[in-house]
Amino acid sequence: MNYFVKGNPDLCIGCRTCMIGCVVAHEGLHIFEIDPDSYTFNPRLKVIKTARITVPVQCKHCENPACMAVCPENCIQLVENAVVINTDKCIGCKTCMMACPYGAIEMQPDSGHRVQTDGSPRMVANKCDLCINSKRGPECVRVCPTEALTLVTEEDLEKENAKKRIAAARALAEVNG
Amino acid sequence: MGVPEIEEARVLLIFGYNGADSHPIVARRILRARQKGAKIICVDPRVTETARISDIHMQLKGGSNMALVNAMAHVIIEEGLCDEEFIARHTTGYEELKTFVERYTPEYGEEISHVPADTIREAARLYAKGEPSMILYGMGVCQFSQAVDVVKGLANLALMTGNFGKPGCGIGPVRGQNNVQGACDMGALPNSYPGYQNVTIPEVREKFEKAWGVPLSDHVGIPMTHVPDRVLKEKDPMKQIHAYYVFGEDPAQSDPDLAEVREALEKVDFLIVQDIFMNRTATYADVILPATSWGEHEGVFTCCDRGFQRFRKFIEPEGDVKDDWEIISLISTAMGYPMHYENTEEIWNEMIDLCPSYTGATYEKLEKYGGVQWPCRSKDMEDKGTPYLHKDGNFANPDGKGKFFCADWRPPKELENDEYPMVLSTVREVGHYSSRTMTGNCRTLRSLEDEPGWAQMNVEDCRELGVEEGELVKVLSKRGYCITRCMPTERVPKGSVFMTYQWWIGACNKLTTAHLDPVSNTPEYKYCACKVKKIEDQKWAEKHVREEYAEIRSKMGIQAAKEGYAL
Repeated sequence: MNYFVKGNPDLCIGCRTCMIGCVVAHEGLHIFEIDPDSYTFNPRLKVIKTARITVPVQCKHCENPACMAVCPENCIQLVENAVVINTDKCIGCKTCMMACPYGAIEMQPDSGHRVQTDGSPRMVANKCDLCINSKRGPECVRVCPTEALTLVTEEDLEKENAKKRIAAARALAEVNG
Repeated sequence: MGVPEIEEARVLLIFGYNGADSHPIVARRILRARQKGAKIICVDPRVTETARISDIHMQLKGGSNMALVNAMAHVIIEEGLCDEEFIARHTTGYEELKTFVERYTPEYGEEISHVPADTIREAARLYAKGEPSMILYGMGVCQFSQAVDVVKGLANLALMTGNFGKPGCGIGPVRGQNNVQGACDMGALPNSYPGYQNVTIPEVREKFEKAWGVPLSDHVGIPMTHVPDRVLKEKDPMKQIHAYYVFGEDPAQSDPDLAEVREALEKVDFLIVQDIFMNRTATYADVILPATSWGEHEGVFTCCDRGFQRFRKFIEPEGDVKDDWEIISLISTAMGYPMHYENTEEIWNEMIDLCPSYTGATYEKLEKYGGVQWPCRSKDMEDKGTPYLHKDGNFANPDGKGKFFCADWRPPKELENDEYPMVLSTVREVGHYSSRTMTGNCRTLRSLEDEPGWAQMNVEDCRELGVEEGELVKVLSKRGYCITRCMPTERVPKGSVFMTYQWWIGACNKLTTAHLDPVSNTPEYKYCACKVKKIEDQKWAEKHVREEYAEIRSKMGIQAAKEGYAL
């Protein structure tokens, strides 16, 4: 089963440290360079604020991803429990962006600052990759000052479900008794 | 009380304080308290992050603090929820207060604050019954023309419920800025030497005269907020200000009524600015003294809970910069008073020996215990400072008792009117600190939020004006206008505009008033009349913002980004 990062609106204070952490994790030391073109500011999660809710929203790494199903270039794949976009192959057709029910995919300038033949920036689909290239795991989870973000694994989901089933069994016993 | 004790409170009354935007680290403590079962009462005109998770949100009309606090006192007294024993043993003036708040019924409170009378009752009961209850307050109390009264009113609530001098209670001012407590502790106030020793007391003056070997003035100086008047309006040349030394402040950005402040900065004969980066004020300076930043020097900060803490240098400064204390020593020496220190410890030792309430807070103790809360009077290693200022109900008054205080509600100075029908309140946003002299130079933070900033407005107001999210709008008051982006949100009430004060183009302090609290001299940043106008030609407005930003940046010598501004 794929993993995903879950935000807890009861703990989120809307500080957006996760968004900055995301950029730093994917851009590395480029953020310290003076040349403004040396890094791309493309947080792969967004803190959303409604009247009563504050929480970051990002890719759910669906089991049957709509984005993957519609990609005409087959550049969306399952890699290590994550749904990952191969931006090298992406043609920027925006189909995945429209297909995603979470609004988790955006078109962003390629983080390698590659350009097209006419010199214009190469735009590619961008979304959370669970920081699969980092040993530290998802950076948003690591940097959140209030521990509002957690990485949910298959094991976690199973454990939670097991607990719910026990609670359900007890409730049933009460009803019947 | 100390900041970590927030987690020990059972009820938190959070008044005019938005931790999530001002101090995320304190906000974390509030969340932990809640996780441990504490109830939260939030008093704020906006749905802040704290309001969102609170048990009771009193969404009051700005400028009604005193009425609400008095109404809460009324309920606590009327419903017999006072700590009678504490009142009898440790306080004076209770009977006067009791009579005084009689007319502040919850219904009268509702009339002024727009908080339903029953919500006021519920909140007062919850606060009074908490064991213990703690009050945290911030700039939503202090930045009004009636500010000090409200602080005393909040202290009334803590006094009448016995919430003083023990763990997890008390009344906590969560200060506006890093080390602003330290600045006050060190006498960066017009009326006191370090350690809150008043300049008008002859014995105090003599002590400092002897230590420093110079005659000292026995006159209270003038507060910073009076400087523009003393430059622009004062007729007596002896009272005029001719030279102004600004140090770690950006009045041309952060003071109210910027047109007047900037005129004063232009007209003053000589302006020195000492800071770590260029800022708005520095563009008016005759001399700029580049100082090291907090990572490049060491010293002591005071936390808002009176805790002295050492901080250390972690990188060597580069370029033509010096420590603040070295710059001051050099200037003093050049002006005829030779000043020489080897290090900050030498300065600290001189200072603590002159301040009885700090004498015991040696570097050795700060090192060993991680921090010391003043008063710490003895150098004996056993004196570890004072976590509870009013321990066991002992107060600093001569009779050792806490004094109840009566004050009627006064409305803010500039109310909404036909021409300016809305209320502007200036606030903070997380990511950019103060006037962003530091954070504006952090590229990722600048990418997250940049000029011209936002005006948070109620969705309905935006609809009526016909403006959408991100559209540039003009915000105007009697004193000036600025251009900023519109942010429709259900989190702010109708008729109000909330703006953050760090933007150069969306500079809301062009609009604010210089009305001051009579005691603290803090300006009424949280209330002035304004209006918002739609800008028909958005293309022109976008171009104008870009060009103005590029111009300010080039004036400050900042390398212009390719598109003029980020994003």
